[in-house]
Amino acid sequence: MLTRRTFLESSAATALATRLFAAPAGSNKPNAELESLGAVALNEAKKQKATYCDIRIIRYRRQFVNVRLNPERGTGKTLEVPNVADTGSFGFGVRVIADGAWGFAASPFVTKDEIARITREAITVARANAVLQSRPLVLAPVGAYRDRWQTPHESDPFAVPLEQKLELIRSAAAEVKKGKGVFAAGCNLSFRSEDKYFASSEGSSIQQLNLQTYGQVNGTAVDMKRGISRSRRFQPPQVTAGYEYIPIMNLVENAQRVREEVIEHLNAPAVTAGKKDLVLLPSHLWLTIHESLGHSTELDRALGYEANYAGTSFLTPDKLGKERVGSEIVNVWGDRTNDRGLATTAYDDDGVKTTKFPIIEKGIFKHYQTIRDQASLIGEKESRGCCYADSWSSVPFQRMPNVWLEPGKQGTSLDDLISGVEDGILIDGDGSFSIDQQRYNFQFGGDAFWAIKGGKKQGMVSQVAYQSRTTDFWQACDLIAGPSYWQQWGAANDGKGEPGQINSVSHGCSPARFRQINVIVTD
Amino acid sequence: MMTKEQAKKLIDKALSFSTFPECNINLNSSESASIRFALNGITTSGYTIEQSMTISSAKDGQTGNTSIDEFDDNSIREAVKRTEALALISPPNPERVPPLGPQKYAPYENFAESTAKARNDVMIPHVRAIIEGAKAQGLVAAGFFEREASAVATATKQGNFGFGRQTDASLSTTIRTQDGSSSGWASQPAVRIDQIDGAAIGKTAIDKCVRWKNPKRLDPGKYTVVLEPTAVGDLIQLLGFNFQARSAEEGRSFLSKPGGGTLVGEKLFPESITLHSDPFNSLYSGLPWGGGGLPAAPMAWIEKGVVKNLFYDRYWAAKAGKAPTPFPFQMVLDGGDKSLSEMIASVERGLLVTRFWYIRNLNPKTVQFTGLTRDGLFLIENGKVTSPVVNFRFNESPVRLLQNTIAMGKPVRVRGGEGQGMIAPPLVVKEFPFTSISDAV
Repeated sequence: MLTRRTFLESSAATALATRLFAAPAGSNKPNAELESLGAVALNEAKKQKATYCDIRIIRYRRQFVNVRLNPERGTGKTLEVPNVADTGSFGFGVRVIADGAWGFAASPFVTKDEIARITREAITVARANAVLQSRPLVLAPVGAYRDRWQTPHESDPFAVPLEQKLELIRSAAAEVKKGKGVFAAGCNLSFRSEDKYFASSEGSSIQQLNLQTYGQVNGTAVDMKRGISRSRRFQPPQVTAGYEYIPIMNLVENAQRVREEVIEHLNAPAVTAGKKDLVLLPSHLWLTIHESLGHSTELDRALGYEANYAGTSFLTPDKLGKERVGSEIVNVWGDRTNDRGLATTAYDDDGVKTTKFPIIEKGIFKHYQTIRDQASLIGEKESRGCCYADSWSSVPFQRMPNVWLEPGKQGTSLDDLISGVEDGILIDGDGSFSIDQQRYNFQFGGDAFWAIKGGKKQGMVSQVAYQSRTTDFWQACDLIAGPSYWQQWGAANDGKGEPGQINSVSHGCSPARFRQINVIVTD
Repeated sequence: MMTKEQAKKLIDKALSFSTFPECNINLNSSESASIRFALNGITTSGYTIEQSMTISSAKDGQTGNTSIDEFDDNSIREAVKRTEALALISPPNPERVPPLGPQKYAPYENFAESTAKARNDVMIPHVRAIIEGAKAQGLVAAGFFEREASAVATATKQGNFGFGRQTDASLSTTIRTQDGSSSGWASQPAVRIDQIDGAAIGKTAIDKCVRWKNPKRLDPGKYTVVLEPTAVGDLIQLLGFNFQARSAEEGRSFLSKPGGGTLVGEKLFPESITLHSDPFNSLYSGLPWGGGGLPAAPMAWIEKGVVKNLFYDRYWAAKAGKAPTPFPFQMVLDGGDKSLSEMIASVERGLLVTRFWYIRNLNPKTVQFTGLTRDGLFLIENGKVTSPVVNFRFNESPVRLLQNTIAMGKPVRVRGGEGQGMIAPPLVVKEFPFTSISDAV
């Protein structure tokens, strides 16, 4: 029988990838073998007279552990259904500029011969594209770096015994299932590592390890007689961190709350439609920030690069520095450097050192998110480091940094927000979300809703969604809780681009209040 | 891309490393090429080779899963070992079903060499036609052209083995005015790339863009709508997941009967509504097996308005004492013979919808969704398209949409902005609820 020891041995990843990404303890230089492989692409590109080349060699590992507790058909006995998966992916992608056009090719066969062949494929693609090049490519200048960086962490989540993870999620799910009337409960943990080597013809050689940690606990209640089912979920902030973050999630403690709230949700009356004040918790507001402010301030969208899919933006370049998006208290940052942010890294996929920059200052739109080949199109001299590809087989393009809302004044509390509301709703957690292709009109649901009457939080209501326009909504923001309430939540699967790619991104905020927003009843 | 012989050899190798009584292997090998364009020029373009092997090992219900994309002996051996180690640490899965023995798969393959081989030299002329068409009218084109060829294999330690190949291609374009005040869209998916007609797609999108200028604002409310096939597919494809027997029997579905039981056999829709899966329809690039490795088979979900079948996976089927059914992939909504213009002519006052966007579920039980119109919304008055209309947000269920359908046109294969699309006809639907105005272009 295999033991945990043999499991750890077999989990030591595949031999080639492990060897390539290994480095002497304490080294801040990339692995020499990776550098040698990267040089193959750079030399081949030079030989073929490409004017730019970069290569990314990447190993991914993902682990997912889930348990679902639900009644067995016919007997009502509770079944514990586990799902355990540990997956890997390894390959490389080469990006070139030849005859003034981009070309890209990728392969899972990481050998010197294949790297040279794929580099030539990328050049063939670029030269073919050059016949329909609409404007010459101009790359913003970048430094040449030789560096090694990793997500700050104390404990490698892949080294933690699986039994420990299974026991935690089983305990949390069991806490939810204890509730009389809870139909099903579930809990999961997942971990992702991205071990990435980047080399460019502009002199960079960078190796980075990015570690992400996710968790979730949920419950579902069903009333067969009334034909109603409702759910409640606690999805702690997804972060870049090691296993040391798991205890901070407080999954079991929050499971107890989920147990009580899913039953309350099942019996909650429908909201009454109309204009209401909203108090939005960070667990909910992060998604509103993401959709309405995060995506609308992407330069590629504003210029039309996403016109066929994700759309453009109401924030066109002529509005830069002038457009009032929110009230005076709305200050929003783009940031790829903050602690535990899902988009936090030291260098982007253009090889640009990442940074923090203002997007909205006192309600006015100040800066776009940019990458090297688009910065010059709005007269900027440097990229803001927002380039990312979700796989070795994907083309790098502009993706969102962590976009966060500055907290309000020190001492402003959540109670201060609620006490100023005569007729409103407090919303926790994210739910349904939909926004138009220029980011004006949106409609958001949530995971749990409480009525606020006469400045006090009351019982739960259900079937809530609110509709607004981005600028109307953010100009209706009249109070934000202070720094002690600031929390960072995020998305692991933000989609954009053709072919579609995903991105992980965090959005921090404190609870905030919005006046007279249109609330509707969903059926 | 791997051949059947290569796939069999890799699978046999993986199974030879297995020490557990159960081991399922799925192999995927694909090659794709794509061109993305915007601002009347190519922006990015790529050629990608990908492969993956997923392995699931089980003993006494204890199960472990992994996937890899390195196929050397050592990597495969380590991956099999890993699944077995994961299984031994995992508690038994009470819903694990026994592995499949040899299955009889229909000799079906919808694979076009012309699609599998196509590179930029084949694709660029279509992109050029669209861009030149747009430029000629002072407009701006964006779009995406992709083709993929894949080889897929499935196998179990109990002797099942299946191999299939498929190709698919898709071209879509969005045409906008220079000032961003109007937009039009068109798309064409096809198994054979030589069926794709870039010039025609471009012409349709250009025409929409030109006609949508200076849209008028109408009040939100319930309208009769003529939904073009893509708009129908955008919404009806979402119904597929709602035919699950399990959620219906557990009271979590629109097909749950209040108090218990399901609505199978009930006439919930008009006589004209028939919704089915058709994995062997030549418009699709299908495989001879469906989810779980069972042979693919056509299946009716709604027949002449009556809920006909539910999706039973192998576990739930065994519990319910039923035969398993295929998952509702490759959906087809049957239609009629009317052309789109005939359908428009039948409407006294209504709206013509090109497609929907950002559709998200509001209530899983009622299957209510929200989303927006995009890239061409027009007013119909006395049977004629009279003026462009500013976009709307809707809150509606595809269930209610089918119940309110009053006329159907000729089905075509469609793919919108989200999901894999389906084969859908244009529809005339009454009382479609638009809840707010979207100024987006």
